[in-house]
Amino acid sequence: MTLQSKAPRSRLDPEPMARRDWLGLSSLWTMGAALMFGVVGMLRLPKAAVLASPSKKFKVALPETLPAGEAFVPPGRAVAVYRDAEGIFAVSTICTHLGCVVKANAEGFECPCHGSRFHADGTVSRGPAPRALPWLKVQVSGGVVMVDEGTTVPSGTKVA
Amino acid sequence: MKENKHLLLFSSLGVLLLLLGAAFEEMVLKDWRRIQGRARSDEGAVTVQLRQIVNASLGVSDRCVSCHVSMGPGEQGVRGDKILVAHKPVVHDPAEYGCTVCHGGQGQATDKEDAHGKVHFWPSPMLGRETSYAGCGRCHATLRVPEQEQMRNAELAFERLDCLTCHRVEGRGGTIRPGGGGMEGPELSRAGLKGYDGAWYGKHEKKSAEAAAGPWKGAFSRVPADDQGLLKIYLDTRVAASRLVTAKSVFFSYGCLGCHKVSGVGGDDGPDLSRAGEKDPGQVSFKYVPGEATMENWMAAHFRSPVSVVAGSQMPPENISTQQLNQLTLFTLSLRRDELRDQYLPKDRARAVKFGEREFATDGATLFGAFCAGCHGQDGQGRRLPGLMSFPSITNADFLALAPDEFLARTVREGRPGRKMPGWLKEGGLRQEEIQAVVAHVRTLGGPAEASTKPARWVSGDAAQGRRIFESACSGCHGKQAKGGEGPALNNKVLLESATDSYLVETVSRGRRGTAMASFLEPSPVRGALSRAEIEAVVAYLRSLQGGKS
Amino acid sequence: MNPASTQNNALREFVDNLKSAPRRMYETAFRGGAPTTDRSRSTFVFGNVFLHLHAVRTHRWSLKWTTTVGLGIMSLSAFLITLVTGVLLMFYYKPSPEAAYASIKDIHFVVPTGRLIRNLHRWAANLMVVAVILHMARAFYTGAYRPPREYNWLIGIGLLVTTLGLSFTGYLLPWDQLAYWAITIGANIAQSPREVTDALGITEYFDPGGLQRLLLLGSDTVGAEALIRFYLLHVMILPLALAALMGVHFWRIRKDGGMVRPADADERLSKMKQGETYPVFTEAPNKTYQLAAVVRGKTAVVGRGPENTVPSMPHLFYAELGVMMLTLLACVALSMVSDAPLKELANPSVPENPAKAPWYFLGLQEMVSFSAFMGGIGIPAIVLAGLALIPYLDREKEGTGEWFGGPGGWRLVKLSMLIGFGAPLAIESFAIRFGWLREWFPKIPQLIVTAINPATILTAVYALYSIWCIRRYGSARSGALGLFTCFLCGFLLLTIIGTYFRGPNWVFYWSPSEWPKH
Repeated sequence: MTLQSKAPRSRLDPEPMARRDWLGLSSLWTMGAALMFGVVGMLRLPKAAVLASPSKKFKVALPETLPAGEAFVPPGRAVAVYRDAEGIFAVSTICTHLGCVVKANAEGFECPCHGSRFHADGTVSRGPAPRALPWLKVQVSGGVVMVDEGTTVPSGTKVA
Repeated sequence: MKENKHLLLFSSLGVLLLLLGAAFEEMVLKDWRRIQGRARSDEGAVTVQLRQIVNASLGVSDRCVSCHVSMGPGEQGVRGDKILVAHKPVVHDPAEYGCTVCHGGQGQATDKEDAHGKVHFWPSPMLGRETSYAGCGRCHATLRVPEQEQMRNAELAFERLDCLTCHRVEGRGGTIRPGGGGMEGPELSRAGLKGYDGAWYGKHEKKSAEAAAGPWKGAFSRVPADDQGLLKIYLDTRVAASRLVTAKSVFFSYGCLGCHKVSGVGGDDGPDLSRAGEKDPGQVSFKYVPGEATMENWMAAHFRSPVSVVAGSQMPPENISTQQLNQLTLFTLSLRRDELRDQYLPKDRARAVKFGEREFATDGATLFGAFCAGCHGQDGQGRRLPGLMSFPSITNADFLALAPDEFLARTVREGRPGRKMPGWLKEGGLRQEEIQAVVAHVRTLGGPAEASTKPARWVSGDAAQGRRIFESACSGCHGKQAKGGEGPALNNKVLLESATDSYLVETVSRGRRGTAMASFLEPSPVRGALSRAEIEAVVAYLRSLQGGKS
Repeated sequence: MNPASTQNNALREFVDNLKSAPRRMYETAFRGGAPTTDRSRSTFVFGNVFLHLHAVRTHRWSLKWTTTVGLGIMSLSAFLITLVTGVLLMFYYKPSPEAAYASIKDIHFVVPTGRLIRNLHRWAANLMVVAVILHMARAFYTGAYRPPREYNWLIGIGLLVTTLGLSFTGYLLPWDQLAYWAITIGANIAQSPREVTDALGITEYFDPGGLQRLLLLGSDTVGAEALIRFYLLHVMILPLALAALMGVHFWRIRKDGGMVRPADADERLSKMKQGETYPVFTEAPNKTYQLAAVVRGKTAVVGRGPENTVPSMPHLFYAELGVMMLTLLACVALSMVSDAPLKELANPSVPENPAKAPWYFLGLQEMVSFSAFMGGIGIPAIVLAGLALIPYLDREKEGTGEWFGGPGGWRLVKLSMLIGFGAPLAIESFAIRFGWLREWFPKIPQLIVTAINPATILTAVYALYSIWCIRRYGSARSGALGLFTCFLCGFLLLTIIGTYFRGPNWVFYWSPSEWPKH
């Protein structure tokens, strides 16, 4: 920006800029890049790396005598676990409409929020729910039943 | 302006580079990323992510499983790095309970040093391999543990009687069948927790009688009643943590509770140890502790020589083996407490806290070991410790012959005000029947009392004469006005109230062998003998003192 | 007209508008076009809400780095960094005693970029305190408090106090031992007027100390209530106060004619090397820039432009951005080298020993160790009052805009530094070696200790010295120079003693390695 001028200039004259101010432009762009990179870092922050909620896989203390067709709901979990002749299976009880917890009744499930109804196998019988209640992965090893809320399985999958 | 542009350029460049570095460190260099990146499960590579075990009831959010992946819920099959071994099968599934509940350490951390708690400002670093059982103490209270000799005998009895032939205990025994691995009888590792059939012996005998051959005939033989008692001790204390139980029995053998309280029972002379295992390594000095700055080393050095680790400590060093030292360390580290929700309150703790069950066995020997042995010695012969007044022998036969049970029991109950001996009923937290058991045990160590038909108070001497005699013959040792000197103070309320006249008269008359107290019926080179009447006068004088009020 | 064609035209117009919408959006945002001429640069500056606090032209004296050392912009930058990082931390921080500590641990260990952000917050906060204090010193030593800038000096003092308050309230939030005990002490300093009211026996009727403590803690112990109050102060009340004061501060700079400069700045600039010169205006009767001069009733310069000015855009902005990025660089670098401290969880039954306040309060803590009231409230109040009075006592004009008020000033400052460091050193050495009144006369009334202790004696020595300066040099400026230098040195020395030479139980140690372990 050095300029040796011989004659006094009018203030209305433009201050002549060097034609390409490499230094100025590169410094500005570097600053922009640094700040943008910082912003990207900051935007990562609100997306938590771990959630405060308990693990999605959990053990279920299934009662020894659970009549076929009767739901066992582990305390604090939105899952109904069943045992019948073919094995053990678990159905999520979170309504596929807007996430209310459905209640098991004689026919299947009913949602208290917007009136969705489900059959016992989770399929929708009426109401606004768009999908069937998913079946959840069940593992049985050494008599210990583990349910994985995070993994769905095709409906009808029963583990002996 | 050029300078300013340069300033802007280079500062920005610096910021950019540093941020790139920070991003690289966070996105690439983290240990858990490396470990998970190399890990393989049955389904192939695992997702690289922070993993954790959350248990709100226990206040746990342990990220340990970010590196120890296969200890996480449902991840047993993950292999790769050496630290990816699954936890050995335990009752408390780490996937549910988390890691720090038992092992200590900083569960929230994701760097090795921080997570293992080996950093400044983390008060509960991970317990070492040697002391890992100390973690049990956070929730559990092992009940009815006897002193070490009974414990050892019980363990020996179980081995001697070949119980291990059929029963497995903590990975040992129960391999009777050819080829090994099999087990005839039930596993007994947790018999003390789960309970067992009290009538087992009768059933064993019956089966043995009915059997024609095989292990029931060959491995089982009659068990004498004494050994049955030892086996009961053994079974009652099986909680799948025998190292901790053995350590506890050592703790109950050196009279630690004579000076220290644990869960409200014990003396007042030393610090309360109820939470001694939670001591923060950041708050103690390691200046005189050899080796690494861990609480394990600190405790061991402290037990070896208390005063050189804690300045001004009056705790006597005990002459014990290194193994016992380590056991004391293990047990002391296990003295922890967690507030637990009912859901997680273990039965043993509930029984101790809610129903007042004792953590020590309540037989005389264990009580003596736990409460008395520290001051009066293992055999009750008294101790002299540097810097403290000497502790009297309580198993002296001459003393026990003259002291009726009630005198002993009352002394234990009410203590000796002004001396180290506390009142064990109120201050010490012992119960009447426990005190009786201690007295009975002292009798077994030192002998019975003589039968006496005289009433408690029968002396009617001249107190004034007694005083003159006392000042010439007794005050040299027992001090002016019997307030104590080289010999014990006799001017003590509880002593005077609980001692019978016969006890006082006969002690003066006969003396007490093994102590400086000579028989005053006999003359000595420095004084003449006293007559019975004179001795009675002295006792009358003592009675007039009324315990310090004269 | 054919309605159909009108419709068509309207439709075409609509489509055209839609097409040109992005370009128009750009044009309405950047009205002046590319800032290539002086006029468009001026428009750019006064048309932009963030930039318009700047004059469109800046005197070249202001751009010399020795004029300001960039400390004001550095303070502002540090504040902006704490502001941004602070808001980010609020995503995860939970202001309750049960969860606060764990949430900080989470920020440290598992929140993406959390560790860096927290470190940045902490380092920027510390840097801000340093920058603000140095900025005040700069303003003082260049005489920038003189008319017409007296009021802005007061605002500056308000900013200093608010900055310290922000920093201190942030100290409690992690709920670790350090925080808990520093706040306990802070709250009891707030209560220390009781030292006087107790001695007078009137606490029962008049208890400002107790009220202050109660207002601060919301309870009689440091607990959940205190945490919420400190949180509220830290994230809401004090930042708003700071922002408001900053607005006034910047506005006043503009109104008071920009950076202070000597009366002969123009001549001196012309004598200096002609590196970047820019021609002086010759024709500018209808000036728009130095409005302040008109407002303040000075004769507007007619017929010639202000000499030695350059357009703020880009000359000033390069300087400002440079300092900003430099500040950011310093914070990021420090954050990567050193983690913000987090001690063990607060434990109300085991006091931290020594329980040390943040470093900038350790000078106070040193004084507090003699008398809670004088050290914590009395003397700070006197110092603040003294600072506030400076522009009203020193009304001289000479030397304004010069470092240390001209050539003679530096010698006086050196002498004052000798006194400033020497006096507290002597008094501290004496008190550490021989103890103080209480050690000699255990029954002495507290009021006497409150009135006569190393802290008050030190203040008195400084005051007497500055009066001597006024007499010796025959100018109030000399007195102010002496007093300010003394206080700065005293602050520095006491802070150093409190930081490095005080150990457990506030006992003097030559080095932390001699501290006894508990």
